[in-house]
Order: sequence, then C-alpha cells, then structure tokens
Amino acid sequence: MSARALLPSLAALLLAALLVAVTLLLLGVSPTRAATGLLDGAFGSPLAITDTLVKATPLIFCGLAVALAFEGALWNIGADGQLIAGAVAAGGIGPRLASWPHPLAVSALLLVGALGGGAWGWIAGWLRARRNVSEVISTIMLNYSAAQILAWAVHGPLIEASRAFPESSAIAASARLQLYFAPSRLNLGMALAAVLSGLAYLYLYRSAWGFALRAIGRSPRAATFHGLATTRVIITTLVLSGALAGLGGAVQVTAITHRLYEAFSPGWGYEAIAVALVARLNPLAIVPSAIFFGALDNGAQAMQRAAGVSAVLVQVIEALVIIILLAFDSAAGRRLGRGLLSPATPDSAEVDA
Amino acid sequence: MLVARGICKRFGRTVALDRVDFHAAPGEIHALIGENGAGKSTLVSILAGRLAPDAGTITGADGPLRITPGTAHGVAAVFQAPLLFEQMSWEENLALGGFRRSTRLRPEALAAAARAAHDLGFALPVPGRRVADLAVGERVRLAILRALSFAPRVLLLDEPTGALAPAEVEQFLDHLGRLRRDGRAVVLVTHRLGEALTVADRITVLRRGRKVAEVPAAATNERDLATLMVGELPPPLAASTYEGAPAVLLSLADLMLEKDGRRLLDGVTMEVRRGEIVGVAGVEGNGQDALIAILAGLAAPTAGRLLTRGALALIPQDRDLDGLILEMPLWENLLLLEPLRRRFAPRYWLRRRDAVEFCRALLARYAIRAGGPHDPAAALSGGNRQRLAVARALATQPEIVVAHDIARGLDLAATRELHRQLRQYAESGRAVLLLSSDLEEIFQLCSRSYLMSRGRLRPLGPADRQAGRFGLMLSGAQG
Amino acid sequence: MLESFLASTIAMATPILLAALGELVVEQSGVINIGIEGAMLSGAFAALVAVYFSGGMICGLVVAAAAALAVNALLAVLVINIAVNQVVAGTALNLLVAGITGVAYREVFGVTGRALTVRALAPLPLGPLTRIPLLGPALFDQSPLAYLALLLTAIVGYAIARTRAGLRLRACGEHPEAAAALGINVYRMRWTALLFAGVLSGLGGAYLTLVYTNTFVEGITGGRGFVALALVIIGRWRAWGIAAAALLFGAAMALQFTLQATVTNLPYQLFLALPYLLTLLVLALMSGQAAAPSALGRSYLRE
Repeated sequence: MSARALLPSLAALLLAALLVAVTLLLLGVSPTRAATGLLDGAFGSPLAITDTLVKATPLIFCGLAVALAFEGALWNIGADGQLIAGAVAAGGIGPRLASWPHPLAVSALLLVGALGGGAWGWIAGWLRARRNVSEVISTIMLNYSAAQILAWAVHGPLIEASRAFPESSAIAASARLQLYFAPSRLNLGMALAAVLSGLAYLYLYRSAWGFALRAIGRSPRAATFHGLATTRVIITTLVLSGALAGLGGAVQVTAITHRLYEAFSPGWGYEAIAVALVARLNPLAIVPSAIFFGALDNGAQAMQRAAGVSAVLVQVIEALVIIILLAFDSAAGRRLGRGLLSPATPDSAEVDA
Repeated sequence: MLVARGICKRFGRTVALDRVDFHAAPGEIHALIGENGAGKSTLVSILAGRLAPDAGTITGADGPLRITPGTAHGVAAVFQAPLLFEQMSWEENLALGGFRRSTRLRPEALAAAARAAHDLGFALPVPGRRVADLAVGERVRLAILRALSFAPRVLLLDEPTGALAPAEVEQFLDHLGRLRRDGRAVVLVTHRLGEALTVADRITVLRRGRKVAEVPAAATNERDLATLMVGELPPPLAASTYEGAPAVLLSLADLMLEKDGRRLLDGVTMEVRRGEIVGVAGVEGNGQDALIAILAGLAAPTAGRLLTRGALALIPQDRDLDGLILEMPLWENLLLLEPLRRRFAPRYWLRRRDAVEFCRALLARYAIRAGGPHDPAAALSGGNRQRLAVARALATQPEIVVAHDIARGLDLAATRELHRQLRQYAESGRAVLLLSSDLEEIFQLCSRSYLMSRGRLRPLGPADRQAGRFGLMLSGAQG
Repeated sequence: MLESFLASTIAMATPILLAALGELVVEQSGVINIGIEGAMLSGAFAALVAVYFSGGMICGLVVAAAAALAVNALLAVLVINIAVNQVVAGTALNLLVAGITGVAYREVFGVTGRALTVRALAPLPLGPLTRIPLLGPALFDQSPLAYLALLLTAIVGYAIARTRAGLRLRACGEHPEAAAALGINVYRMRWTALLFAGVLSGLGGAYLTLVYTNTFVEGITGGRGFVALALVIIGRWRAWGIAAAALLFGAAMALQFTLQATVTNLPYQLFLALPYLLTLLVLALMSGQAAAPSALGRSYLRE
C-alpha cells in the first residue's frame, strides 16, 4: 500500500477540520484559539507530547483490532468490549501476582489480557461462522455485556479491600510496567503497540493467513470457489482481533491505571474505527493515525480551557472524518465496481442482518 | 405497441446487443430466439426498463419512451430467474401484482388470482406456502400470474415454459393465443423452436448480439431457424497430433447429484484421455454447474465414481466473481489456485518475491497486457483477465484442465488465442474438458463431444455434426 | 412495591419500545440502523432545550422528533443515496451526535455546575381505570408517550402484516431489485422508513429527558438505542413480539432500581447485561436471522 492511498484520509481530515472551524465561527468561538489550545494541549510541552502518545496507545491496539477484522469484511464493532474483557482479566489476576518476578508477572498479565479479549472475540467469531449470526449485532451486544460485567466486578467480586469505592484492588507492584520517564507516563506499552503494528502488517500482507483473510474479505465467493477455509479464517480473525484489543486493555491496566473501575474505556473501541479508516486499514499507518487521534483527545481539555468549547468537540471531528471517508470511498467504489468499505456484493455472506 | 430501434448495449468491452431493431405489435405474438448469450435476455431487460440501453430509441403508442422499471408503461415481464420474494407467501407475492388496489389485503384478491389461474389451466399452490418452498414450475406459474395481473398491453416472457410440465405448456400457449385475441402484444423468448413456430406470428433470431433474421412464422421451418441460430459451422479440426498412449486421465462413472430433492446430475458417465479435448455442449442450467462443483471438490456426488489421474485445474465460467478477485493484485490472484498457493505459501509466509517474478514471467509468456504484477485485476480488460485465468491454470501443468465457457464475452481474436493454447496443451499429452453452450466453440476445438441435457450426458456422433440437426437438439425439439 | 415495580417496568419499556418500533419499520425496508442511539440522544437533548426555552411540552416533543428526523435524514443520504456501509455509517452518526450534543449543551447552557432541570411531562391518568387495584395505577397512570407506544405497536404491527403499504415495505427489504421491477420506489420507501424511525427515536429520547430525569447528561441514552436494536431481533421482527421483549427488558431495568433501593449487594449490573446476553442467545438459537428481511443491511443502487 503506497502513501498515495492515504491522500483521501488527509483530504477528509482537512475537510472535517474546515467544517468544524466554520461551525465554531458560527457559534462565535475563535477557531484559531480552539486550534491553538488543542495543539498546545497535545504538543505544547514534553509532558504533553508523551501524554499524547500515552493516549494513543490503546487506540493503536484497538485500531489494529478493527483493521484486521475489517480487512476480512468482518465488521467488528466490538473492540471496546474486547478491550474491557482484556482489562478485566488482567485487573482480576493482577493483585494475585505479588510473589511473581517482575518480567514474568507483567508477561502473565498481558497474556491473560490477550486471552480475555480473544475469548470475547471468539464468541462473535463462533456465532458468525457456526450460527450465521451477524458479527455487527453480536459485537455490539458483547460491548454492553462487557461494560456491565466490569461494573459488577468492581462493585462485587473484585472490589478493593475497604469496599468503599467501586474499583478493584490495585495490581501487585511486580505486575506494573515501569514508567522510565517519570513524571511522564510514557511506557513500554507504546513500543509494544508499535511492534504489533509491524507484526500485523506482516501478518496481513506477508503471511498465508493474511492472504486468505484479505481474499475472503474481498470476495467470499471466489475464496470459497478456490477452497480457502472461510469458517476457520473468520473465527481466527475475530479471536486475533479481540486479543489485540484485550492486550490494549491489559497494557492500560499494567502501565497506567493499575486497577479497574467503571467506565474504564472512554469509547476507544469506537474511536478506533475512525483510527483504522483514516489509516485505510493499513497497520503501519495505524500508528500515526492513532497518534493524531490521541493528540485530539489529549488536546481537547486544553482547548476547552482556552476557547471555552467542550472537549467532546473532538468526537465531532472523528465522526465527520469517518463520514467523509465513507462518502469518498463510496464514490471511488462505485467507479471500480465495489470497494472494501462500500456496499457488500449481494453474494457475499456479509452483514445480511 | 413498443418499437425499439438501434438498441446497443455493452457490458464493459463485451457487446451484448449491436444495433438491434425489435417491435411488439398489438394482437401479435413475437418470438425471440437465439442461443445462450445471443442477447435475448438483455433485450428483454431493456424493454422492461431494468437496463438502460447505451444507444437506440424505444417508442410507445404515444411517442418516445424512457422506460423505467415497473408497470407504468403497460409493460410487464417474467424474467428467466423470476423476481419473486422468497420469504413471503405466494399470496403476498401475488398481492404485490396488480390484482386489486386496496389498502388492506383481502381474500378477494385471492379469488381474482384463482380465476386467472383457472383461465391459464394452472393450479394454485397450498395456501400460505412460502415461495422458497415451492417447486420450480410453481414459481414460474406464480410469476406469470403476477405479470398478467397488471393486465399489461405488452407482456414480455423470458423462457417461461422451461420449468412447466408438458400439459401446462400446452394450456399456457393456448392462453397466449387468447391474449393475442385480446389485442395485447406478447414477446416470447424461447430456445424451443417448436414452441415458437406453433404459437408465434413472427420470429426474430438473434446471434451474438445481432439480429440475423425477422420472419413471419408461417414462412419458415425448424431447420432454417436452427441454421440461423447457430450459423455456419466451421469445418471439423484436423485430428490431434498427440501420438502417445491414450491413457484415461479423468473418468466419471454413473455420477449422480441430488440437492433439495432435485436431480441435478443423472448418471453422468464419460472418460477423458491424454491428448484429447472433450466437449460438453448444452444449454446452461442442465447440470453444468453441478458437474463443475463436483470437479472443484465443492460438492460430493450422491452416487457414482469420479477418478482423476494427476492434478486437475479449473477455469471457472465467471472469471470476475469466481475466478479472480478484482481488487487484488495479479500476483496474489495467482495464489488463489491451490497448487500455486502451496508453491508460493508453503508454510506460514508468502514467498512474495518468487510469486511476483513468476507472475511477471507469466504475463510475458501469455502476452497479457497489464502494467505489472502489482496491478489489480480490475485494471485488466475482460480478455486479459481471461488470459490470466487460463495462464494461471496451465502454469501448474495439471494433467487435466476443465474449462467452463471460457470464451464468453471475448472477441474473436481473443477466443482464437485461447483455443490455440488449449489445443496446444492437450497435444502436449494432457487432457482438456470443455463445457460450453457455444456450438461453434465445441466443434472447432473438441475431438469428441457430449450433449448435456437435464443432468444427463449423451455422446455426439459424427452424424450430429450437421448444423440443423444439432440446433434442433439444443432447442429441445428432439433428444 | 409490586405496583411501583409494574409502573416502572412500563416506564422503562416505553422509550426502547418507541425506538424499536421505528427500527422494525427501517429493517423491514432493508436498512439496518446502528445509529438509533444517536437519534435518541439528539431527541433527548432537543427536547430539553425546547422545553427549557419555550416551556411547552408539545413544543419539546415536536423539536425532539425534528432533531432525530434530521439525524436519520443524514443517515438516509449516506446509506440510501450514496450507499455507504450501513454499519460504519450508523456508528459514525452515534459519535457525531454524542459530540454535537456535548458541545451544544455547553454552548447553550454554559458550565454552571448545577444540573439543569425542566418541568416533567405529566402523566395522563385514564380516569376511573386508575382505580383498579394494583394494575390501575401501574398501567393507567402513565405518560402519554407510553400509551402512544402501545397504540403504535398495534398500528405498526397491523400495517406491516396486513396492509398493501406494509407489504410493499417488506418487498423492499426482501428483494429490492424485484420490488423495483414491480414499480416500487425503493429509495423513497427506505427514506420514509428512516424518517418515521427518526420521529419515534426522537420521542423515545425526549421521554428520557422529559419523563425520567428532567435533565440532560452526556450519554443519557446509555445504550438504549442498541437495546432497541436487540428488541427487534428478540421480537423476531414482529411488533407484538417486540413489545413483549420491551416489557421484559423494562422489567430487568425496573428490578434493578427496585432492588437497588431495598437489597444491597445485589449484582444488578448483571440484570442490565441480561438483555444483551439474551439477544446473543436468541440469535444463536435462531441460527442466523431466519426471520430477518433477506436484504437487511444490503445497499441497493438503482441502475
């Protein structure tokens, strides 16, 4: 995939920014002040920059999860739930690892997180492959189930010792990822995310599985005709996708929060859809795309202080970017017959629900 | 009254209709005949407003028309694959027709339907049954009833009788005569010449997208029509130059395939030997897809034996939907074929560089016009796509190549080139099985051939090579 | 206690039932709307603003319906006219509305720190019926929107199954190409369905601000749009089935409030997860969506 493929993304970002700027003008807010506030909050100081990277980290994990699934035309809307499943698994065993040596404890925590997310993804994969249930519906339902299970866990079985606050006990010190650049919260999670984006790229474009996945995503009919094992690929993909998101949740627990609480995810799994679409589903482009959205998130508070406009404005930008990209893609897709993000071909096993 | 003049329609680079004139006059049954792919269905779709012509005009009784889908112009159609709502009951399907314009669905609509069905000699299905559960014949009857419910001035019928029982056909044709007396225009697409001659007043023959004749039914006969449909047959080819031992590479013995209670293949027996190109002629939908599914390993025969000696490679009929993935680069399209996948992705990783080099060499050897191995298949013309599909199949040096309708939509030069390649391949001591509905192709290429009809195969002897007789057989008048 | 439990079951069921009935009509036309959550949210916000500034309840409901109508019109342009992926478009709309309402709330009301409240939409007691023991106060002293939901269940159910318009709607969801060949304008049908659903989602959203809370907080819908999506599946695409499912879910939510007040340490969050888990179970047992419109989620482009 060439850099040129990312041009529509840049155009969409500019267009979205323009739309928002015009809206701000109409509201009587100075767009330049909002933009300066945003930039300042995201990149204004070394600490701001590292915080942007910290905010980008879960977005990379979830963005990779979304990209992997979308490449196979599996519309995994469930990265949020998978991330929470991973976080709950990691936050659940975290306090019990006190006697474990540090590297082992951290690895165990991350592994358990990936397994938790993977299990959550497997449910959707199994339902899709074996019971013909649309992954769109199942992943949405699993998102809300995961959120409620997390809420129950921090009020019930995992609640901290004093039972006063709805949050879990802190994970053991040995299971915490060190912050090498304190006071900055920058941690190895970002590096892990970057390495995984490289691995995801190799998986997608250089491995036999990735080939099968992309083939099935583009033409289930041709893939079936040539004997590619669609059922296995669907389940494997959603497990891997879930594991990536779950790993993101575990990283968040081990490096940043050290514990679980309600509303653990501010909607990373949904934001990740924008991240993945802007990256045109290319794993390598996910990193910069996630950093961009991380910067938006990080700068939002500063923007709110500087320009008096609500921080959730960045959600508007995200949504506009997705919508504009969809429209671009549809126009291009119609010219070429069909595009990955434009309507499914009638014969594909896709959505149909 | 509907007059179409100079209708042209292309699909990509394929010319489906080339300056065709056609008209449907009140009180007249106009039969439209031709082989598969002659353009009959495309013309019907244009007259019904489902497709827009690239050029040409359509004029109605009140002047030029821009036909849109629906029945507003007094045109109703029954298409070859009837557009029915599978998950609804047959009554609901009828109610979507023109029986009764009421807000509420009432039993009266059913009474009207029952009367109409009685007129046609049709029995109505069991009340409340879903269309998906109806037999093929019942579905066609339903579609015909629904079309008639609009009381159309022009009725277009695309192969309506194929799925009807003989007694029903007779009654149905009888009813068409009544519609004619009512002053309606009926267009009957068929490949059964006998039917066209019995019922039609006027017959138009299409061949390869062109109108080759329009004659009053009274002034022609089956033999002349068959010759018009099929055209002059090419002289038989010189015998294969292969001189090795004619070992059997592919053998089918009494192959049966049943699905949903329908017999798709009925005792198919044949052998394909080294050095041979064996043809299977026949109108589409007579079991060809079932045979391909078995050969591709996508379906298991209900009974019978399939033996292959050596690898088998398939060139599917629909290169854009089954054969290739248009958004993927050419080199990755090669990997769709299992032997190439094993070669270039033996374990976990793709041998990318090798595959790309291999692709480059293949493009050069088969003169496929493409920018390079990284071009998406969508960037290729239809002919070059087909060349790629053929090159991919031959590249693995399989003992048996099965090619299904490979010349569809290609121009003459591209077709010849493909034929030359297949011929050469067979003569190198391999075997080719060619399924085609194009007679010229079968005769041009094959050393032996069979006719496939309703799931059965019957060998074609030298005596069948006579154009007229063969055309008649294809048309279902005999055999 | 039983009385208040029944009453709050119905109160909880009303907004999700309204939204789900809209979604039923949309899905019968062949479109899947993941953006119900956004439409409801826009309705909830618009209702608050309108009532706050005009004081009129009717005005609040109308503005709520109009706001959600606008959201669905945007979705209609995207998924019908330019035929983008319905799932991703719906998700984007949810984000968009969440952002816009968040920004607008601050713009309109500033950050005062105190919760902004409006007068509640008064219940409409149905005279002597309210004096029936137990059932009376629970069933017949509800918000007018609750009666509307019940009425619409009957109307929508009847219209879809028994009228020509309903049949034509279903034709679009079953086989849009065939519907077009019979002269049905698939675009117009799907547009109409989405606009109708917009009105209902808007009213459902208004219910949240004008009946439940009398105020607006970000994300006030709390996943109710997705519950509505689930109701359509659990109700197997039938209006009365959906109403039954809505009552079931309403009961689960009401139980949470009732028990939360009386029994501590009850895992009420698991009750809240029930609707979603139940949906998964129903889907798994149904093995796909046997009852779903065949062309659901598939874009249709005119030649």
